Amino acid sequence: MSEPAVRTVNLVKRYDGAAITALAGVSVDIDRGHYLCIMGPSGSGKSTFLNLVGALDTPTSGEVHLNGRSLATERNLDAVRAREVGFVFQLHNLIPTLTSVENVEIPMMAVGVPRAQRRARAVDLLTQVGLSHRLHSVATRLSGGERQRVSIARALANNPSLILADEPTGDVDSKTGEQIMACIHDARKKTGATLIVVTHNPEISLGADRILHMRDGVLH
Amino acid sequence: MLILKNLMRRRMRTILSVLGIAIGIAAIVAFNAVGRGFKESLDRYMRSSGAQILVVNRSAMAPEYSTITQEEQDALRAIPGIEHMSPGTFMIISGRVLKRPTLKFLTVFGRLPGDRLIGKFGKGISGRLFQAEDEMIVGAEAARDLQLKIGDTMEILNRTLKIVGVYQSDVKFEAAGSVVPTSVIQEGRKMGNSVGMCFLFLKDGVDWKTVRTQIEEKMPALAAIQTGEFTTYYNQLDYIDWFVWIVSLISVVVGGLGVLNTMLMTVSERTREIGTLRAVGWSRGQVLQMILTEGVVISLIGGGIGLFVGAFGAEILIHWAPKGLDTRYTLLLFAQGLAIALALGFFGALYPAVQASRLSPIEALKYE
Repeated sequence: MSEPAVRTVNLVKRYDGAAITALAGVSVDIDRGHYLCIMGPSGSGKSTFLNLVGALDTPTSGEVHLNGRSLATERNLDAVRAREVGFVFQLHNLIPTLTSVENVEIPMMAVGVPRAQRRARAVDLLTQVGLSHRLHSVATRLSGGERQRVSIARALANNPSLILADEPTGDVDSKTGEQIMACIHDARKKTGATLIVVTHNPEISLGADRILHMRDGVLH
Repeated sequence: MLILKNLMRRRMRTILSVLGIAIGIAAIVAFNAVGRGFKESLDRYMRSSGAQILVVNRSAMAPEYSTITQEEQDALRAIPGIEHMSPGTFMIISGRVLKRPTLKFLTVFGRLPGDRLIGKFGKGISGRLFQAEDEMIVGAEAARDLQLKIGDTMEILNRTLKIVGVYQSDVKFEAAGSVVPTSVIQEGRKMGNSVGMCFLFLKDGVDWKTVRTQIEEKMPALAAIQTGEFTTYYNQLDYIDWFVWIVSLISVVVGGLGVLNTMLMTVSERTREIGTLRAVGWSRGQVLQMILTEGVVISLIGGGIGLFVGAFGAEILIHWAPKGLDTRYTLLLFAQGLAIALALGFFGALYPAVQASRLSPIEALKYE
C-alpha cells in the first residue's frame, strides 16, 4: 500500500514558551487525492495544523510526513512549499501592485521556470478558473471572489500534490463562496491533488471524503 | 517586474532616494572635476613653458612665496647642461587692491621683456608683446571680464601700465591673468634682483635628473622639479583632494542613509507580502536578492543622474567661482562615481534585505 499524502505523528505546537498549546498531539493519515475538511471553532488549532502540514511552521514536537518524507529531515522547506504545496489563504494574500498573471507567476519564479513558460502557464491557469478576461488587471481592481480565484490559480502554479485552503470562502458572500469551492474542486479533480480545507462553514464540508473536528488542539 | 513595480509603488519616496544618491554623486563628480582640473591646468601651464626643469626655493610653501637671489640665478646659469635660464615671478593681486571689486583676484606673471618664456604669448596675440617697463599684456578672459582693451591702462603695484596686447591661452588661469615686466613685481614687492622661480631649458640629450642633482648639491635651499610634476611636488595641493573627498563623503553618507531609510520602510510596509513570497516557496536568498536589487536600482539611477548633474554643476561652479578654474573629467572619475553609487545602494539595502530574509513566513503573514 502506498504512503499517505500526509501523515502527522503526535504533532504538538506550543507558543509563548509553552504557555499556549495550539496542538496537543495530532496524529492523522490523509490519503492521496482525498478531500479532508477540518472544522472547528476559532482558536481550536485548525490553522496551526495547516501551517505545520504546509511547512510554513515547525512543530514543537512530533512529525509531519509529506508523501512519505519527514519534514523534520528536509533541508529545504522553501522547495517543499514551492513544489509540493499550494496555499489558498482566507485573505488571498495577493501582491497588490501585480496583475493577476504576475501574481500567478510568483511561485514559478521561486523554482526558476523560464519567463515565457511561466507566463503561458499562468494564462492557462487563470483561464481554467474563469479569469481569462482579467489576466492583466491589477490585484486591487479585482473583486473579492476574483482575487480568491487568482489565489487558487497561484496555488496550482507548480502543480502541487497537496492543496491547503484556510477558510477560502471566509471573506466572500455565499454565492461567491460556492463558485470558489467549485473552482477548487475542479482543480483537484484535474490534478489529482490531495485537498485539506479548514472552515467554519458546514456547507463546505459537503462532498468531503472525510470530515474531522478540531477542538482544543485535538482532532476528533 | 516585481522590483520595478515595488519601486513605483511609492514613487515620491523612490524619487527622493534617487535624488539623495544623485546629489552625493554629483558632489563627487563636480568637486573632483574642478579639483583635478585645477591641478591639471597647473601642470599643463608649467609644461607649456617649454622648459624641462623648474627651480623654486625649498622653504616656500607655495610658488608665490618663492625667492631666488641674484647669486643663485648666476650659479644656476653656470651649471653644465643648461642651455637657457628664464627667471619668472608670480603673484596674485586681490580685486579690491586693483579697485575692481567685482573681480576676486588677478594672477600676475612677471617676465623679462624679449625673454624666451614670453614668446609663447605671441601666438595669436592681438596687439603685441610688451617691450618697455611700463607696458603689460592681459589674457583674453581677463580682458573680457575687466572690459580692458589695447591702449587702456591698469594700476598694478603703484605703477601705471599700458596694455599693449591681449593674448590667448588654453590654460584657464593664464587666460584669466596678466603678464607684466619682472621689474614691476621686483620693485613693488621690494625683491631687489631676486625672482620667484627659474625655468631651465636643457641642452639636447641632457638628463634632467643629473642637472637636478647638481643644483641641489650646490644649492640645498633650492628644489629642482620636472615641470610636468609641479603639482606632485607641491603636495599641499593634495589638501584640495582631501577637501573634495571629505565634502563628497558627507554627501554620499546622506545619500546612503536615504537608501537605508527607504528600504527599511519598504520592508516594514511589505512584511505580509514578503510572508506571502516565502509561503509560496521563495527562499531567503531570493527575498534578499529582491530587496538588494531594489536598492541597487535606486542607486544606479541616482548615480547616472548624479554624473550628468555633477558635470553640469562643475561647469556652473567654474562659471561663478573665481576665474581661472578649470574642469577635468576622466572615465575613471565617472567609473568611481558609479561604483560609489552601486556600493551605496548595496550597503544601504543590505541591512533591510537581511531583515526581510530573516522574517519567518508565518510571522510575516500574521503581520498587521
